[in-house]
Amino acid sequence: MSRLEAKKPPLFISDPLTKDLFIQSLSLLSRILKSCYGPAGRLKQLHNGVGGYVCTTSQSSAILGRLSVSHPVLSVLTASVQNHVSRFSDCGLFTAILCCSFIENFKSLSVASYTVIKISRHLLSLCMDYLKSEACGCRVSVDFSSVESLLCLVRSVLISKPACMLNKTEIDHLATLVVKAFIFTVPCHVETNAVLGKCVIVPVKSGRVVDSTVLPGLLIETPEIQWAKLLTVKRTCSNMIKIALFSVSMSGDSFSPEEGTIMVHHGISLEALELNQLLDVGKQLVSDEVGLVVCQKVIHPSLKQYLKENHVMAVDRAGLNLMEPLSRMTGSKPIASIQLLSPDCYGSLEDVRVESFASKHFVHLIPKDTIVCSLILCNRNETAWEELKRACETAEHVLQLTVKEPLALLGGGCTETHLASYIRHKSCTLSTSTFKDIDCSRTQYQLVADGFCRSLESVACSLSHDDGDILTDIVYGHCWFVPSGFPSVSNWSDLVSKCGCGINGNTENLSWRLLQGQFASHVIQDCPKKPSVKVADFLTVDCFAAKCSGLQVALETANLILDLSYVIEDQN
Amino acid sequence: MRWATCRLAQQKPSGVCAYTRLTFTTNLFIHSPERVLLFAGFSCVWLHNVIPFDPLPFPSQTGWKKRCCLLSMAFRDVNARRHIGLQELSSLALAGRTLLGPVKSWKFIVDESTNQSTLICSAVRLIESLDLTSAAGQLLNETIQAQNKEFKTGMSTLLFLVGAWSGAILECLQQDVPVSAIVSVMSEGLNSCCERVQCLQVSIHDVNKELCSSIVRPDAFKSETCQIGGDSLLNPQVFTYFQKDVSAPEEAILKNSCSHQEDDCGFNKGLVSPLSSFGSVASLVKPAGDRKASMISGSGVVASSCNKQKLTHSRYFSTPGESRFSNQQGTFRGYLSEQAADPCKCYGLGHLAVALSHGNQTSVKLLQSIVEYQQEKAECSGSSQFNVAEIVTCCLLTLPESYSCVSPGFVTLASLEQVAVIKHLEDKPLRILLMDGDLTEQYRHLGFNRPCNVRTILEHPSLQEGRAEDLWLSSMLGILTSFEVNLVLVKGNVCENLTERCIANSILVIGSVSRNVMCAFGEVTGAQPVTYVTQLNASCVGSGAQVELWKACDGRAMDLGELVPVRIKARGIPLLTAVLTTTVASKMQLIEDQFWTLVYRLHNALNDKKVFLGGGAVELLCLSHIQMLAEQSLQPANKNAVKGFHSPWLAASVTEYKSVVLQALANGWRQYLSVVMCNTAKAASELEASTSVDHHLKKAADCGSPSAYILKEFRRGGLLRGVSGPFADHGDGLKVYDNITAKTEAWRRALDLVLLVLQTDAEIITGPKSNQLVNSHASSEFVFL
Repeated sequence: MSRLEAKKPPLFISDPLTKDLFIQSLSLLSRILKSCYGPAGRLKQLHNGVGGYVCTTSQSSAILGRLSVSHPVLSVLTASVQNHVSRFSDCGLFTAILCCSFIENFKSLSVASYTVIKISRHLLSLCMDYLKSEACGCRVSVDFSSVESLLCLVRSVLISKPACMLNKTEIDHLATLVVKAFIFTVPCHVETNAVLGKCVIVPVKSGRVVDSTVLPGLLIETPEIQWAKLLTVKRTCSNMIKIALFSVSMSGDSFSPEEGTIMVHHGISLEALELNQLLDVGKQLVSDEVGLVVCQKVIHPSLKQYLKENHVMAVDRAGLNLMEPLSRMTGSKPIASIQLLSPDCYGSLEDVRVESFASKHFVHLIPKDTIVCSLILCNRNETAWEELKRACETAEHVLQLTVKEPLALLGGGCTETHLASYIRHKSCTLSTSTFKDIDCSRTQYQLVADGFCRSLESVACSLSHDDGDILTDIVYGHCWFVPSGFPSVSNWSDLVSKCGCGINGNTENLSWRLLQGQFASHVIQDCPKKPSVKVADFLTVDCFAAKCSGLQVALETANLILDLSYVIEDQN
Repeated sequence: MRWATCRLAQQKPSGVCAYTRLTFTTNLFIHSPERVLLFAGFSCVWLHNVIPFDPLPFPSQTGWKKRCCLLSMAFRDVNARRHIGLQELSSLALAGRTLLGPVKSWKFIVDESTNQSTLICSAVRLIESLDLTSAAGQLLNETIQAQNKEFKTGMSTLLFLVGAWSGAILECLQQDVPVSAIVSVMSEGLNSCCERVQCLQVSIHDVNKELCSSIVRPDAFKSETCQIGGDSLLNPQVFTYFQKDVSAPEEAILKNSCSHQEDDCGFNKGLVSPLSSFGSVASLVKPAGDRKASMISGSGVVASSCNKQKLTHSRYFSTPGESRFSNQQGTFRGYLSEQAADPCKCYGLGHLAVALSHGNQTSVKLLQSIVEYQQEKAECSGSSQFNVAEIVTCCLLTLPESYSCVSPGFVTLASLEQVAVIKHLEDKPLRILLMDGDLTEQYRHLGFNRPCNVRTILEHPSLQEGRAEDLWLSSMLGILTSFEVNLVLVKGNVCENLTERCIANSILVIGSVSRNVMCAFGEVTGAQPVTYVTQLNASCVGSGAQVELWKACDGRAMDLGELVPVRIKARGIPLLTAVLTTTVASKMQLIEDQFWTLVYRLHNALNDKKVFLGGGAVELLCLSHIQMLAEQSLQPANKNAVKGFHSPWLAASVTEYKSVVLQALANGWRQYLSVVMCNTAKAASELEASTSVDHHLKKAADCGSPSAYILKEFRRGGLLRGVSGPFADHGDGLKVYDNITAKTEAWRRALDLVLLVLQTDAEIITGPKSNQLVNSHASSEFVFL
């Protein structure tokens, strides 16, 4: 007899944004994220409190991935930031911080949220139009004919992750490797539909960062160096190595289906039957002149022995991650069943070698055309290695995004302050017809625009973590940092040397003002200029696509959250 | 906050504690009896700071709500100055202070819940034995394990510097130095040091040449003994004690060495009439003599027995009978007479091994024989000079340490029942099978998933058929006998029943054989490892292996109760087994660790192809270099010259604090040098040691070129020997060298860890523990999201 329990009624919470709980949680989340931002960002130790693995990080992907946020409104925020990160890898913290700032700034305005949303959409479109126009002053084009600008992009990503514990030479070394790996993945013969290859990161979690390296082709870790003597791989007449790629387990246990029971007569060994079948596959592989057998899972030792005796190299435990690039690189189709073996599944390889890094041994598969490469990534300890891996993946992704749109935005807070001064300038010069279109007053528009700009500027401000002053200049609208410990009244030009992105030096009088000063918003300014300087060597630049998307996602999410009037919680 | 916990801990020691045993060095006895007493009274030290890691009190920030909880470690204004993570690191590292340097004090780690204790003598084992649940502790453990995995040496340096630098950084935070300035100046400073100390690298070739040229001279021992005599005169009271007591073990060494040098009077002169030889001390303080002396005393027995003797002496100031030593003299003699046969023989790497041993004398003898064997082989075959993969250890309890030796081939333990088989197989060429898994019926290769839904139907049950295991046993035995296998080496476990059946059929089965042993046997016998016996075919079976009962150096076969050491070899096998013996069970692990540390030091040195000058030379140069940098940064001319800092907004702030931060970095090495001097009893207190370091620094600075000064001092016989006068040179001043990569990596890892923790401002606890915290009484200390 089942007992029925009365369902609890759902819980309605009206005006969730005005609740203390939300305000506090939002400010905590925003504090956590802001403290992580930038090259001087503070790190977070994520762990389970009972002696498990400690993840030290300042990256949004790692923090948001492990943080279980219970407040429904905040989970909307984190979910959309995570979605952005999954598509662009970069600018996750930027998006999250900006979104929090938008919510905080807009919520404090005495303007109806409906109007705020409309005005802020208009402001966003102004920003996007500006960013996409040639006149944009915070945008530089990326020249793919020189490595330098690619290095700048990668370096900026690596520098902004302090938990990687890299010094200057290590950053330079890794930046070169990432660019090299990226160039490996660009196909040599471009047809109409060019697809970039893949860079696989091979972990070596001890050793020095400078020992990291890039190799064309793929590496499969093997427990022993049993190949040392046996490296006369059988080759076909065209001097290539024929490779068979198995995605099915060859360990001899596949007779065991998921469900049901098998009845077997005494004296019959399923294992032996299975092994015979495997050996038949081996026989066919030998007769098909296959030189190398790679299996995603385990190969039965007897089959291995058989293949070895017939001078066929067998490598097992390649892992799921390698299957797709392996099949792409060799042109082979992964074989999913040991019953059916068609000859057109085989692929080919140029060469097979044995490599050792630190104490690990690898079989190195070298293809004819390189579109797949392996980045052997070393770092001194696990927590720093994981962080470095995430950073390298982000950098690789940034390069891929930049190929599609060869542009970059100035980093170091300069894009944010520049956009803010652009919007300040623009919002003063809008015609009254615009306000009519949006159905708001000029004052309302000014208020929202001010909140919008302050949100952008607060992102730039969160780059500084040591209580120094943050300035912006009237001419270019860039962001400048004053070291802490100086009185605010001193002559700024003595204290600043370069702007955040490094494009402007302290050469002319740029009439600085405090970014978060009281009168900041009331200064009527001209449209910020585009710096005339040629792109310098060590520029901090951000991925254009990622940052544009970040800006959009932040505003859309903030608008969505501002528009919430009820939260309905199912209590069952 | 943290200090509050520490104090609490001191009142009520719980969890883990450490017992410090003091290892006395010769000079300690000669110079200050008072200090000996003091130390003796202090010989049981409870280290409280190591102890409990209850959840630390974190700054309270209430009002936040559930689920993911955030314990904010150091949120900006309030707690940035007292960084809890750094405090944790620094107090953890305190426990490892006495493990630094060549003279280490051992510790007992006692688990109060089970009353079990372990004896440890290295940072790895210390950290392993502690229950580290805090995040900083976890990271420290991870870092030390990584260093151990890669180099097997440098862990105590790492641990110590972690502590010293976290302490120094905490002081910087007190002075309001911004975190970013600390991070960039410290890492730049360390880089600069690593570049600077390159001038103290010496190639292996040069080291060998130097060490070989300074080998045995007729007066080597004279100078050694004279020196002891001469120095002790400075404190005549003690000398009488010294003479009575220490003369016993010294005699044991020296008699032998004298006989092989045919210079009997050297010894007697030195000890009996110290006055006459006193005048010659200055001129005789030469590393050459010192080296030889300690090389000979490189036998573990000498070291340990001397220690025992002295410890007794320190307590009772009486002379025990010489009988204790008489039974061990034979061993020295045996060992020394081996050397005496070829007095001028150049040991090549053997010298380097001694120079890298840092007083790890027990293992030096073993390593030297290994090197000798391998070099001989290398000369024949042209293979590499020193191969770690060809060395294995076998630990034999219940044998005195003097039985430690190196045996060619593979020595392992077999059961008593197998003795008959071994005797039967002795002197016969054996057919050998290598199994790279377990040898049991149930064993399947890795990755094989056992089916859970297969049922066997037995249609015609008959009583004649035995159980499945019997069938398996007889089929296995059938296969083994049909291939005439006599010897089976198994990587994993062996089914006991099978072992028994094999004994009956004169087949020797040995389990738990490591992979490199299997590889070595595979190479020379032609055997190919298989996973299942059913895989066996003629090409898998190797031939030409030999087996015998292992015999100790006095020719006796050993009987260790249940287990018998057995030696397996094959013609041309490069494998060498270091047989490590001790009668004290708790020392076994320690002896093995020390042996491997030394082996890997030599291995690392050969990998680097260079070594650092040791004995504090490198650290001293770092210290002087950093101080120079700090002084430079204070000069106004250099204030604006900031290069290499990638963040433009860091530049100015960095210049401002550079000098303070560099001093903090230098502090690490200063403390390192002081503690090493204290641990080796070269200085009475850290203050005294620090004065001595300052003295050297000043001299180095006055000299104009610090590296030249340090080189000169090193050639004179080492640096860390106190200022002058009573702490001047003693017998153990052999030339000391260090690994390069292991050392610099230990520095880098230590600094990375400290900076990683420094930059952390919050811990985020996820998972079930966070829910517990919500409900716990400590919830006010956490911020919940």
